[in-house]
Amino acid sequence: MIQRIVFNLIQVAVVIVFSPLVTGVLNRLKENVQSKRGPSVLQPYRDLWKLFQKDEIVSDQSSWIFRTTPYVAFVAPIFVTLLIPVLTSYPLFFAFMADMVGGGFVLALAGFFKTLAAVDTGNPYGPMGASRTRMVGFLAEPVFIIVFFTVAFVANSTIPYIVQKQWVLSPAAFVAPSHVLLLAAFIMLILAETGRIPVDNPSGHFELAMIDESKALEFSGKGAALMKWGGSMKFFVLLCIFLNVLVTPWGLASEIALGPVLLAIPLVLLKIFLFLLVLVVIESSFAKLRLFRITEFLGSAFITSVAAMIMRVFSL
Amino acid sequence: MTVVILLVLPLAAAAISGLPWWRAGLAATIASSVGAFALSIAIAGDVLRTGAVEAIPKWIAVDGLTALMLLLIAFVAAMSALFSWGYMSRTVHEPARMRIYFANFNLFVFSMLAVPVFVEPTLVWITVELTTVCSALLVSFENTHEALEAAWKYVVLSLMGAGVALLGFLVLFAAMQAAGGGDYTWDGLVAAAPRMHGVLLATAFALVLVGLGTKVGLAPMHTWLPDAHSQAPSPVCALLSGVETITVLYVILRLVPVLSGAHDSNVKTWTTVFGLLSAGVAAFLLLQVRDYKRMFAFSTVEHMGIILLAAGLGTASARYGALYQAMTHALTKSFCFFAAGVALLVVGTREIASVRGLIRTSPVAGATLLIGALAIAGAPPFGIFLSEFSIFRAGLAEGRYWTMGALVLFVVIAFFGILLQVNRMVFGEGSGDAPVAPIPRTCYAALACSGALVIAFGFYLPQPLDRLLRLGALALGR
Amino acid sequence: MNVLLSLNTLAGGLFLLTAFGTVATRQARGSLNLFIAQSFLLASSALLLGIEYRSEHLYGVAAVNVVAKIILIPWILRRTLHEEVYTRREIDQVMNIPSSLLAALVLTFAAFFMTGPLQQALAPQFRGTNIPVGFAVLLLGAFTLAVRREAVPLLIGLLAMENGAFFAGISLARTMPLLVELAIATDGLIVVFIAGVLIRAVHQHIGTTEIGALTRLREVSAAVEEEVA
Repeated sequence: MIQRIVFNLIQVAVVIVFSPLVTGVLNRLKENVQSKRGPSVLQPYRDLWKLFQKDEIVSDQSSWIFRTTPYVAFVAPIFVTLLIPVLTSYPLFFAFMADMVGGGFVLALAGFFKTLAAVDTGNPYGPMGASRTRMVGFLAEPVFIIVFFTVAFVANSTIPYIVQKQWVLSPAAFVAPSHVLLLAAFIMLILAETGRIPVDNPSGHFELAMIDESKALEFSGKGAALMKWGGSMKFFVLLCIFLNVLVTPWGLASEIALGPVLLAIPLVLLKIFLFLLVLVVIESSFAKLRLFRITEFLGSAFITSVAAMIMRVFSL
Repeated sequence: MTVVILLVLPLAAAAISGLPWWRAGLAATIASSVGAFALSIAIAGDVLRTGAVEAIPKWIAVDGLTALMLLLIAFVAAMSALFSWGYMSRTVHEPARMRIYFANFNLFVFSMLAVPVFVEPTLVWITVELTTVCSALLVSFENTHEALEAAWKYVVLSLMGAGVALLGFLVLFAAMQAAGGGDYTWDGLVAAAPRMHGVLLATAFALVLVGLGTKVGLAPMHTWLPDAHSQAPSPVCALLSGVETITVLYVILRLVPVLSGAHDSNVKTWTTVFGLLSAGVAAFLLLQVRDYKRMFAFSTVEHMGIILLAAGLGTASARYGALYQAMTHALTKSFCFFAAGVALLVVGTREIASVRGLIRTSPVAGATLLIGALAIAGAPPFGIFLSEFSIFRAGLAEGRYWTMGALVLFVVIAFFGILLQVNRMVFGEGSGDAPVAPIPRTCYAALACSGALVIAFGFYLPQPLDRLLRLGALALGR
Repeated sequence: MNVLLSLNTLAGGLFLLTAFGTVATRQARGSLNLFIAQSFLLASSALLLGIEYRSEHLYGVAAVNVVAKIILIPWILRRTLHEEVYTRREIDQVMNIPSSLLAALVLTFAAFFMTGPLQQALAPQFRGTNIPVGFAVLLLGAFTLAVRREAVPLLIGLLAMENGAFFAGISLARTMPLLVELAIATDGLIVVFIAGVLIRAVHQHIGTTEIGALTRLREVSAAVEEEVA
């Protein structure tokens, strides 16, 4: 049991330490695809270090929400890390604390605080970004729910570890249409939730067009660092859920020993980097959607997930 | 062998119509359609003597029903070719367009002749699609806004129906395989019907009825028919309304004995519902029509409903009545459209409200329009009256009082609708202008030929035709 | 479930998805690309079923489909239609896209329910994705025809209906003679040709490619015009 707690903590450490790396690699790959040199992959670490040294300026019109949000945004993904399979394929100590729906709630809590903090300061761009994020959020909810429903229907459980065992056992089950269509729907969902093209441009500077970025404009110093880190961790966590539960549950440690668990770290990072290649191709191929076309994008994701559900429910 | 020649004739005429000299195409068209008519008479004679003719086993065969269809199609095509001679010379002035017209005309006639001769249902489906495709450019021939819109609706709705019908035929194939296999021909289907699973048969029949019913013009899928059958040039309308709809209805009718052979089939319900719906919708829509060619087109919908209803009633006399109605309808409807075409030449407009006192403007146009309207509405002493009467008798003998009552009501409503409009057109207080254009001689000839038959069949049905009708009715039953 | 049948089911799922795409896409070019993808999935399904059930007819069907629908039909369309028709996109629709997607979903459910009794009536080796998905795509094609106005998406809806009927057919009619398949494919080509000619005529004489919006022929509108005049 001690070992399971230790492995859980190792899992959390991996997420905290490696998430800025993932963000750095993604940014660099995007620039490389566009034939530019791009920043170093360790640049996010340097940014975080720099931000921790700086002073924090907080508006005196803002309330306790503004001061607490960076901590909530940092801690929430850590909570979710305790629940999902990152390194191991057997449940760890905290695994039964909450299921996928609970994990979704915790991430949504962080999003809720971020939205309120954006409205809190009186900055004109904050509420605009907040309301747009809410719109994307509520359109993405049905997709989440249908995905969870189908997955739970197949695996008879909503705990990620159990789903992972049931879901992809044989090649035949891997190419089952419910599986493939769910993957397509979930990719569209990741693009929407993490604010990637075609929903939002993460490297844009134009505040009137921002959806996600404008919520974090007011933070500075330590708060900004925690918000950035929290954002990277949320991205890492979503990728883990996607890759380790739905797509490729292989490469995770199956024995309760330290060696395989440490071996699983580079394997997980490898899987994430391969997926980042796919993400970079998607980001470089499409243009950002006009705001009200996002409903059509998420509508298509919804249809895809429901098609997956139909095919599964009718046992096809 | 004769059957193959029958099919090759219009194809050859189509090829000749492509030549730079359009009169060659015209001559070829008339020659081929008259030749086809002669051949179809010969084939009918063969069938009457020997019962059935098989040209290519399992692919092409002619029985009584097929011979009847060939006869009707060839006759109306010949009359229509004759009428086109005068009508198109008067209305079209560019040789290129004449060539397009005659080439398409021949291809259309070929596709219609091909439908009854094939016995493999998917090949029949292909020929039905061909009829749509070959007539599309004929419907849009005048290139006006309305004509193009009508052609587009026609093509889209017909092809939609064809897609649904394809699925129906494939389900039928699966049903046949599941029942133990056999030849996938009309006869093979009738023989295998008692072994086939009821659900599969019902699904297949429903799909084919809805799909091909769109092409026939059964309500509620009839919306394209008034447009397409009124915007096309009149000789083409005669072909479309006179024989093309009945040819597609023939395909549906071939499935009726298959379905009645299965246990707990309700073919009667399907045919009655669609038949009455078509007749009713057409009758009521006839009351508010504003264009006399549309009026005749709605009348086609009504008659298709009546024929479907009669074929599904279940007795031999009802089936005989259905085929008798098909024959008289083909002759009468083509005559009506010839009359409408002549009227259009004379007054220059399609609107009923602008035409008054036609009998004074042009006696021939007025008289033929009146005769046509009376005939198609079912007045004695014309053929349609006799065929409808035989259907009523058969229905009453079966005990279907409510159905027949409804049918009589719809026929009477349509009668009043048509006669009211035509009466005003022919006898109303007119302006008495001189005709816009004189009537070509060949149009007179076509009118005279068809008119003679329309009147003659009101009094006397020749013995060979009667035997052919009975032979055809046998093919519809079990 | 073995891998071949599973792959076939995947092809069926993606086939259904392309049909949703034709309902939702705005651009004419996108519509055509979805049709090509759909035909490719049809051919692959025929190939997979052919391998599984050892039926050479299905190989022939796959080959005929690839040639006719993936190569020839786009070529014919490009020849008969003016290039401008391809650059069209629908700015406003009869029914906005999310609502039409929801309606399409309802139609899919309906199709799956309706083919339930049909599947029960067939022998076990005929059951599978092909029949429900084929029927659903038939209905979705008809729905596309109802809600779209531009010429190329309308035509693609029509061809999608035939694709759907065929998709159900390759499972139902495994031993249909190849001659029939060839004839159906040729017929499809002729249909596309004539439709292309018609669309071009409409473009020339009326000046628009929004064919679905042509509505002059109606009893009621004529009456209204008379009252207004």
